Amino acid sequence: MTLAAQNISLLLGDGEAQATILNNVNIHVSAGEMVAIMGPSGAGKSSLLAICGGLRRASSGSVTVGGVNLGDLSDSELARIRRQRIGFVFQQSNLVPSLTALDQLLLVAHLNGEGTHGKARTEALRLLAEVGMENRATRKPAQLSGGERQRVGIARALMGNPALLLVDEPTSMLDQGRGREIVELLAQQCHAHKVATVMVTHDASMVSVVDRVVKLVDGRVVSEGAPT
Amino acid sequence: MFLAWRDMLHAKGRFGLMALVVTLVAFLVVVLGGLIFGLIKDCVSALQQLPATHMAFENSTRPDYQNSMLDKETWEKWAGVPGVKATPIGHSLANARDAQGAPVDIAFWGVVPGSFAEPRVVEGQGLSAAPNAMVISRKIALDKHVKIGDTITIDRVLTEFKVVGITEAVAVSHAPVAYVPLRKWQEANYGPPGGAPPGDTLPEAIFTAATTIALAIDPDASVDIKAHDREIGTKTMTKEQSYDGTSGYSAEIFTVRLMQFFLIATCVVVLGAFFSIWTIQRTAEIGLVKALGADNGYLVRDALSQVLLVLVFATGIGVLAAFGTTSAFEARGSVFELTTGNVVGSSLLLIGAGLFGAMFALRRIVKIEPIIALGRDR
Repeated sequence: MTLAAQNISLLLGDGEAQATILNNVNIHVSAGEMVAIMGPSGAGKSSLLAICGGLRRASSGSVTVGGVNLGDLSDSELARIRRQRIGFVFQQSNLVPSLTALDQLLLVAHLNGEGTHGKARTEALRLLAEVGMENRATRKPAQLSGGERQRVGIARALMGNPALLLVDEPTSMLDQGRGREIVELLAQQCHAHKVATVMVTHDASMVSVVDRVVKLVDGRVVSEGAPT
Repeated sequence: MFLAWRDMLHAKGRFGLMALVVTLVAFLVVVLGGLIFGLIKDCVSALQQLPATHMAFENSTRPDYQNSMLDKETWEKWAGVPGVKATPIGHSLANARDAQGAPVDIAFWGVVPGSFAEPRVVEGQGLSAAPNAMVISRKIALDKHVKIGDTITIDRVLTEFKVVGITEAVAVSHAPVAYVPLRKWQEANYGPPGGAPPGDTLPEAIFTAATTIALAIDPDASVDIKAHDREIGTKTMTKEQSYDGTSGYSAEIFTVRLMQFFLIATCVVVLGAFFSIWTIQRTAEIGLVKALGADNGYLVRDALSQVLLVLVFATGIGVLAAFGTTSAFEARGSVFELTTGNVVGSSLLLIGAGLFGAMFALRRIVKIEPIIALGRDR
């Protein structure tokens, strides 16, 4: 099991103002499996994603990524796990404005202490080609369309062969057609790279390509199963 | 440097302006440093080259070279202290005229010929060459075209001196020094105008006064300076401390140092503000890079390299510009001296101050949470 989140609860605030964001949530994702987390706004989808990615600590419960319990790790160890085992695809793509498409990928190699020439460069160009962005490698985010930025974001997330891909609302800024393309690309990459993928979305029309759908309401899992 | 360099290229305009500010500050800091060294040289270079460790003055609350007065008994007592070499010095500022009647403003120094206070001549002879011998600073020779063999007359007292030698370009209180035998200095300062009346001699009493005593204290001899001061009735300080006793020195150096301090303080504030704002603008980007796996060490190193690049590059340009204008200062005969130590010291001070200012921005980097990459909690 690449990702195993067990009995995850998240409480925010103190005293009477305390709110339960997640309540005993369990989620398991295997290598090459794509799971969609759906639910209305405020259901706790992104909080669950943040906890699974080591961006936030749960109030209780445990998360293991590739057998490593994230709860046992310090902040710097969490950072190391994120750069070595987890790839993120963010809402609005979230690219570094000063970097070209190629540099966005090479940044991941640089964070891992690898050189940015030779093998890393070849790998980055191959991934850009996989997402159809080989001709846009030298463009900066401001010179790319929304769909192109999201493709670069996917290629960046796959750089360094992560075991887990966490995707946050990848279609929220795209029209229906572009959004569909991006989700299909994600599914294709998930299966091709055998990477466990968790995608948060509120768009029911995008989940037909995933293997499993987990529905969250008010911080609880209310249903789980194949997409309908 | 991966992010730092690309960020700088991406925001060339902002970093260019910042570098321009640092360049101007560096230019001014180095020029002011040159001015300080020039002022020091013009105020106290004659004291700097004097092979003394301490100077003894008349005991007062604020001893200075102009107003101190000591008698013969005093310097003889100091000369009798084991491990101490002592010689009197007469100091006054005087107006003089060369043989053509052109005015020459001088620091008029009387020293005992053959003593360790006698200046080393670079041309001509020493003070023992004639009773009315004068050894002049090279600055007088160059600026006033005075040559060996010329006559210099002290205004009002009309004592005449024959230039027998030239020493290095030394000065005190911005006046080039003219050295004469102590007896002639005493005669010019305490005797009647024009010297002794024909056929008469001056009373010996006027030859018993000087303004200060140069002391060369053996570092291995344990001399209790305070005890000897109490016993002899003097106030002794190190040669370097005595620089404050030359007129104008403290005020001038303090003024320029204050300007230099405020420039560096400005640099600290400007760089601190710039990099703080820059970090605030990059908050989302820093959160993103942290989410991708960068730890605080990586981001702090990256930001530091950015600060260092700006500082080193801009300071380098500022220093080169300062060197470029040095010749202009020198050509105009300004009080200015640029030394390697001064330039390196000023540059390092500026770079250190800039890094200190940027530390405030670095604190902010550490506090940014990676979760903001998800677009929440911004």
